[in-house]
Amino acid sequence: MTTQESGKQGLWATLRKPSAKYSLLGLLVVGFFSGIIFWGGFNTGMEATNTMAFCTGCHEMKDNVYEEYKYTIHYSNRTGVRATCSDCHVPKDWTHKIIRKIQATKEVYGKITGVIDTKEKFEAHRLAMAEREWARMKATNSIECRNCHDFEAMSPELQKKTPYKKHMEAKAAGQTCIECHQGIAHRLPKGFKKPGTEEEEE
Amino acid sequence: MKQLTFAAAVAAISLTGFAAPALALDVEAAKGLAEQNNCMQCHGLRKDKDGPAFLTTADKYRGKANAVDEVVKHMTSGKKVKLADGTQEEHKIAKTMPPNDAKQLKNLAEYILSIQPK
Repeated sequence: MTTQESGKQGLWATLRKPSAKYSLLGLLVVGFFSGIIFWGGFNTGMEATNTMAFCTGCHEMKDNVYEEYKYTIHYSNRTGVRATCSDCHVPKDWTHKIIRKIQATKEVYGKITGVIDTKEKFEAHRLAMAEREWARMKATNSIECRNCHDFEAMSPELQKKTPYKKHMEAKAAGQTCIECHQGIAHRLPKGFKKPGTEEEEE
Repeated sequence: MKQLTFAAAVAAISLTGFAAPALALDVEAAKGLAEQNNCMQCHGLRKDKDGPAFLTTADKYRGKANAVDEVVKHMTSGKKVKLADGTQEEHKIAKTMPPNDAKQLKNLAEYILSIQPK
């Protein structure tokens, strides 16, 4: 070390200097526990953005999609199991969750610029937004649906015959949930026609 | 010329007169509700699938006074229905937002009954 370098002052120099006061073990232990607290705090913060209260904090969600979702089976049902916003719209595993959360920052920009701040604007964008979400779900093989639903777990005795037949056909064809089940928790975009129902002339 | 204008006026009035009852029917809303409830998975507009075509239902009830009520009952009671392959299954219960909205269900029933042969 030259005399010129050792003479440097400031935060960076202090950080780079080996500790003469604390033991290596002490530093490691403090660092280890600080790490746990930081990591826990980070994840707790991220989980907070997964709650229904957070999602419906924006009137764009509260007045449109949340209002519709309240009438659907994923909100209220016989057995009392509820799938909240994040159960369907945010992947469970950490890596995919972080990727989705980073993508969601664009929605903050949308909120600031007021791109869907009225019912009319929301309806005008509904198809584009829905198609984006359906494409995302299709690309992940409907991973969020599959946290609860599984072709293998469908009982031919308990499921109605027609849906069972269609599910087994879909399974054989390698289809994924969202390819048929659009608009199950929200209104379908106006004029949207589900694939598989062949167009007939009026 | 005057006669022609008169005839056109009569035609216009009678056309409006005929169109008036149909105005109550919101076709777009009916189609939206049918799509939302996956009706078209089993029913064609004019083509029988696992279930009868809307046209078949319309033909069955044409001229009957209680047609709308019957069709609404069919959509909402979950009664056993016969499929094309002869087996039976409970019919899906049509859902509306808000739930059990008689106006929306009636509108869909009226739409089904309005289907005419091509």
